[in-house]
Amino acid sequence: MLIELSGVSKIYNQGRANEVRALTNIDLVVEQGSMVCLKGPSGSGKSTLLAIIGCIFPPTSGRAAIADRQLARLPDRFLTLHRRETIGFIFQRFNVLPELTVLDNITLPLLPLGVPPKERKERAQQLMARFGISHRAEFPAGQISGGELQRVAIARALINNQPIILADEPTAHLDTVLSWEFMEIMQQLQAAGKTIVIASHDPLVFEHPAVERTVTIKDGRLHAS
Amino acid sequence: MALKNIEKQLNILDYALSSLWRRRAKSFSILLVFAAIIFLLASFQMVTQSLSDKAKQVLAYTPEITLQKMSAGRQEAIPLAYREQLAGIFGIRRVVPRIWGYYFDEVRLANYTVMGMELENMPEGARLDASLANGKMPGPEARGWVFVGHSIKEALNLDERYTFSLFRPDLTLKAFTVSGEFSRDTDILTNDLIVMNLADARDLYGIPAGLVTDFCVYVANPKEIDTIAKKISTALPSVRVLTRPQIQKTYQVVFGWRSGFGSICLLAALAAFVILAWDKASGLSPEERREIAILKVLGWETSDILATRFWESLIVSGLACILGMTAAYIHVVYFAASLFRPVLMGWSVLRPDLHLLPRMAAGDILLILAFTVIPYLAATVIPAWRSATVPADSALGG
Ligand SMILES: Nc1ncnc2c1ncn2[C@@H]1O[C@H](COP(=O)(O)OP(=O)(O)O)[C@@H](O)[C@H]1O
Ligand SMILES: [Mg+2]
Repeated sequence: MLIELSGVSKIYNQGRANEVRALTNIDLVVEQGSMVCLKGPSGSGKSTLLAIIGCIFPPTSGRAAIADRQLARLPDRFLTLHRRETIGFIFQRFNVLPELTVLDNITLPLLPLGVPPKERKERAQQLMARFGISHRAEFPAGQISGGELQRVAIARALINNQPIILADEPTAHLDTVLSWEFMEIMQQLQAAGKTIVIASHDPLVFEHPAVERTVTIKDGRLHAS
Repeated sequence: MALKNIEKQLNILDYALSSLWRRRAKSFSILLVFAAIIFLLASFQMVTQSLSDKAKQVLAYTPEITLQKMSAGRQEAIPLAYREQLAGIFGIRRVVPRIWGYYFDEVRLANYTVMGMELENMPEGARLDASLANGKMPGPEARGWVFVGHSIKEALNLDERYTFSLFRPDLTLKAFTVSGEFSRDTDILTNDLIVMNLADARDLYGIPAGLVTDFCVYVANPKEIDTIAKKISTALPSVRVLTRPQIQKTYQVVFGWRSGFGSICLLAALAAFVILAWDKASGLSPEERREIAILKVLGWETSDILATRFWESLIVSGLACILGMTAAYIHVVYFAASLFRPVLMGWSVLRPDLHLLPRMAAGDILLILAFTVIPYLAATVIPAWRSATVPADSALGG
């Protein structure tokens, strides 16, 4: 198993007046190479759970093991190092830097890894060719279409060949055709061995045949289904 | 591992460069303001340096003691006979009589300084012929031979010819032949100077035999200047005694005030610049926060983000330094520091066509860097620590 959470809770701003209990006592196991969908209304804790799986912050309590590494009490720096080897993120609005070219956006995760320019370019070119956006390489990311943007975001999540792909409401701003296309690509990636966790309350996602398991979150608690 | 680190810094440098390019309008305006500040500081420093060099030169050629006869508060000719009274004072090495004055050239509307003295009697080191670019000083018998400074040569068009004439008070003409030219290094002293034999100067100004305008007194031991000056005052009560240290003090007061004033203006400008830089760099804009959050979630550490800021600032300030210093050098050398004329007016009135040779010690450059680059780096990089407070998860969908 690649992702293993047991008794995970997350409290934002603990001990302060604006304390928020976002996750309570979550147990979740995601096997290597599977595709899981986290479903639930807005504010139920999906993003928080993805952030914990994605090594952005450790849980307030409970145990989280991602790719065989215990996360609790890892200092920030190690979380970052672990994250960039392990996790590829795809965000709701794809979070590209609009003034940067498509190529530069895709290679952003490689800069702090010390990957030299030539190799960066080669790796990005491979992915761009695979997703059919090679002709956009030198375009500013702010000037390409929504469908191309989504492929840029996917390519960026794969650039360091990370084993886990986390997507947070990836279809929230896509039409039906593009949403469908997104799930097709996810299916291909899963077939290629990636472990995929998608947070979404879009039926197009959680009813997609490639999704093996759907987990429902409500008010920070898991309801298996 | 070390190699990876270098690669990483290169990548971050690469990113910093492209960030600067993306915001090129903003980067360029900061660069220009920054370069202008360095330009002002460096020009001022160069001018100050070379002027104080010049002042030192002037002092080096100033006699240790100058004697002038005063009457009704005005200077008048001093009798050569006073020399006998000076001979009795112990410690005087040499007394050199001098006739000097101004000559207004009505044709060219220019003022010249004429100086006639017994050059051969001057002690080593004080001799003006040490600063000759070419030729030889006229000897005592060489009547009609002169030595001229640069602007005289230009004014009298002495490139093609060697002879010229000046009017005596009775409007008869006196002819001179140029035997040499002063080096431009001593411009401040010699630019408008015509040096001639004492007898020629007497003839030109129509000064009666037995009178000169002043005496240059050289002493054996410079420590005794004040004592000897006092003795001369006692022996010759009607004579004004000017010592080199007194003249030096006057220079220092005037010059110190001027450069102090200039420095204060520049420091004020610098402070304004730092405040501006700080203001620009302080609050993180929403775009910056977003960029930082994205970079963090993609695996950039806070230190990597700080490094991009550091490189950006270093590139801007490095370019600004090169631009500013080069412009300052050109300004001082080719435009004679014309922007500072108003502040340094006293000097330009003193010698209107001043040729400045900028001098810039490594220490001065470091000082300027310390006053500009370091505050700028601080003003841009320190606020970037705020990026540490931008949580990576703010890049996730709400
Ligand atoms: N950084 C944060 N600080 C404080 N509260 C937060 C923060 N992020 C999320 N929350 C709160 O935690 C709860 C879960 O939010 P989130 O995980 O974003 O849910 P979802 O992604 O399902 O919409 C919500 O009540 C939200 O307001
Ligand atoms: Mg969310």
